[in-house]
Amino acid sequence: MRNRWSPRAVLGGGALLLALAFVAAAASGAYAISPAQLLRVFGALLTGGDDASPEYLVFANIRLPRLILGIAAGAGLGMAGTLMQGLFRNPLADPGLIGISSGAALAAGVTIVLGAAFLPAVPRTLGSWPLVSMAFAGGFLVTLLIYGLSQSEGGTRMALMLLAGIAINALAGAGLGYLSVVATDEQLRSLQFWLLGSLGGARWSAVALVGAVVFVACAMAMTLAGPLNAIALGESQAALLGVDVERVKRRAVVVTAFAVGAVTATTGIIGFIGLIAPHWVRMAAGPDHRVVLPASGLLGAALVLAADAVARTVVAPAELPLGVLTAAIGVPMFLLMLRHFRSRV
Amino acid sequence: MTLVCEGAGVRIGAKQLLAAASVQLRPGRVTAILGPNGAGKSTLLSLLSGQRQPTEGRVLLEGRPLQAHGAAALALRRAVMPQESSVAFDFTAREIVALGRFPHRRTPSADEDAIVAEAMALTDVAALAPRILNTLSGGEKARVHLARALAQIWHPPADGAERWLLLDEPTAALDLAHQHAAMRLLREWAARGVGVVAVLHDLNLARRYADEAIVLGATTGLRQGPVAEVLQPALIEEVWSMPCEQVERADGTVQYLFG
Amino acid sequence: MDAKHEPALDCARLPRRRALGLLAASAGALAWPAAQAQAGKAPRLVTVSGAITEVAYLLGAESQLVGTDTTSLYPAAARSTPKVGYMRQLSAEGLLSLKPDAVIATTEAGPPVVLDLVRSAGVKVELVEADHTWDEVQRKVQAVGRAAGREAQARELQARLDADWAAARKQVAAAGGRKPRVLFVLSHSASPQVSGGRTAANAVIGFAGGVNALSGFDGYRPMTAEAMASAAPDIILTSGQSIEAHGGVEKFWARPELALTPAYRKRALVTLDALLLLGFGPRMPQAVRETHEKFVALLA
Repeated sequence: MRNRWSPRAVLGGGALLLALAFVAAAASGAYAISPAQLLRVFGALLTGGDDASPEYLVFANIRLPRLILGIAAGAGLGMAGTLMQGLFRNPLADPGLIGISSGAALAAGVTIVLGAAFLPAVPRTLGSWPLVSMAFAGGFLVTLLIYGLSQSEGGTRMALMLLAGIAINALAGAGLGYLSVVATDEQLRSLQFWLLGSLGGARWSAVALVGAVVFVACAMAMTLAGPLNAIALGESQAALLGVDVERVKRRAVVVTAFAVGAVTATTGIIGFIGLIAPHWVRMAAGPDHRVVLPASGLLGAALVLAADAVARTVVAPAELPLGVLTAAIGVPMFLLMLRHFRSRV
Repeated sequence: MTLVCEGAGVRIGAKQLLAAASVQLRPGRVTAILGPNGAGKSTLLSLLSGQRQPTEGRVLLEGRPLQAHGAAALALRRAVMPQESSVAFDFTAREIVALGRFPHRRTPSADEDAIVAEAMALTDVAALAPRILNTLSGGEKARVHLARALAQIWHPPADGAERWLLLDEPTAALDLAHQHAAMRLLREWAARGVGVVAVLHDLNLARRYADEAIVLGATTGLRQGPVAEVLQPALIEEVWSMPCEQVERADGTVQYLFG
Repeated sequence: MDAKHEPALDCARLPRRRALGLLAASAGALAWPAAQAQAGKAPRLVTVSGAITEVAYLLGAESQLVGTDTTSLYPAAARSTPKVGYMRQLSAEGLLSLKPDAVIATTEAGPPVVLDLVRSAGVKVELVEADHTWDEVQRKVQAVGRAAGREAQARELQARLDADWAAARKQVAAAGGRKPRVLFVLSHSASPQVSGGRTAANAVIGFAGGVNALSGFDGYRPMTAEAMASAAPDIILTSGQSIEAHGGVEKFWARPELALTPAYRKRALVTLDALLLLGFGPRMPQAVRETHEKFVALLA
């Protein structure tokens, strides 16, 4: 018998964790801002007052957009991870299964390596619009392809989606391998940085766009919470309970494609959040999607903020790629998860 | 008022899962679907529940094809207990039974929690409520799913439509006492106006608790009728290829001896 | 000359009052370096790219250096300055935390959004176009001189370097003789690449009195045996780091693609440090001279 946290405790705890992570992340960074200065800056932001100090500039233009992007990224990834796990009825699923990450990575690789031939003067580093648009388009198209391949007479077959995902992901990997070979050293470095993920490309226009997409995606995802609970009984059982299973699948894939696509296009690949956030929530609160979905969003956001804070400070004035840190947390967590599953009765 | 198959059959490629069947079912009685393995019992049940579409013929509920009713509307008055089911994630027994109320989420009753508790009490799984379903035994899981089906159609619909309870081998995993308790429960619900249709493999349970029997035999085809009339030893011997002797107890219950 | 970039302050996204506040703050912060200079303090510099860092040291501005990038490895002292990361993946906050007055880099530095943010904080960001000419070196000297407030020393250095350069060019021209076919191989991390037109290596080969054995394409391409055979270089030019990455000269020559080249028969290999050879920094005349002398020795 397990002692489960009540929904209120989980959501409250998640919100608290996010708030703490936000404060900690707001206070960390290469540029030294004392707590007193931070309070002053917050005051100026909230009241819309004038503040010409360098601390205000650094915070308002550089740190704050990163924090907001981090929240959007973590929330989108955590929530999408929950959707995928509910859809595939497997706690080891994550958004990468349906090809968004590999499609975005391939498109990014093509832009960085081959784009030089077509658009020589256009920057191809994290945060530039051509790269962002290509990455989003790539992720979306690959997901569409995988979704198409998973169609059969009876509708969308999750087993087909999994297999198609494996195949297409491998293909994208091969493509990336080819691009790595023909890339110059500089292009290879740029591509590697993109693949490891970073919030460094955060500027208000991109942040606002990603934030809006993730917000809408999260709202739509919540409508799937109840149906995903029913789908845990099995697709045919869920249909007998009146769930339009095909519509749930379509909506889940679209929501994931948009949310994860927008995030990945702007930040590169940030791994493991979609896998571990839902798992941690389930360990505390049980598998009810009506709790796991929002809580995974909160926890994912807190994790990304925390990881980014470390990324920005541990080798200052340089930065570590974010993906390195999420892997550093994620891999041990993953191994613990496997142990937990193995030892279960 | 009735659930009807008109020449409904299912063929997949070269394989005929169910030869064209015509059955008429009415609420307020327990109908047992019987037959050897592979006879198409589960297929017939899945046609009646709407889980499967017939490749020939049609299935009508109150004169309209099942599809025309819509999945959400059907779920308000028709519950299915599956033969087996794998549940993903660590849902508790209570959460699983509560999922039976999912179709009613838009118009919940005043006593949603009580429904779940009472349904679990009826199938003797109340004590298992906080346990994780996947850690329970086969019989316990079956009783939880039965409770879920009962919870789904707990209250009669507001429009007075009949309720249907379709069960695929509900007693297969249960121990002896629970088998009989479950069948008695089904009789009670039928007495209250629910149409109960159960695929059974135990002829004795069927003879004792069902009102009607539908027997699917390879050589005999489909036979439907009152259970005492259909389940004659001669038919049983032909369909199941087992010598069969009918015995009667002092209180009038008829059972069969095999072998 | 600058690469295309998007406005860092997307004022449309911020409430008007805040946007005005930020603009005012930017204007205020622009006074930053001016105030510094007025106060008589030497401007704090961040140099991104090895050649630019070298110039800073030659101008005697090393005390003003508050940060350099990971390619700034010469002189040895540069290695112990705070590192702001790889030149294409700079961090805005990281740069600003060093409180620089100016950042001098080539146009290859990025991401562009980071440079914009740094600029909007009032830091002078000077980007030098890398076009693989002697002009590039001159521009670097001028840029650093301007930013460091050492224009006089910069003019002096430039004159010295110009003379050095002229002497090196004369030496190469005077040697005359057949121009060797030279092929540059780069192999620091990924599979080996060879350079065509519009590369730093191509320019250096030309300056040093050779001819690029590869023509018909720009940029870098993977090294293949067929391409090598048809290019038929007399001399292979490479960086010390590429030899190291292979584990030594013997292993380098063991590469099958090289076996079909005339260079292989005589083991005609010229190796220089990558920064010296390709950096287009103040040691350029030395690099060209050294390379040329090695060419001549191999042809003899």
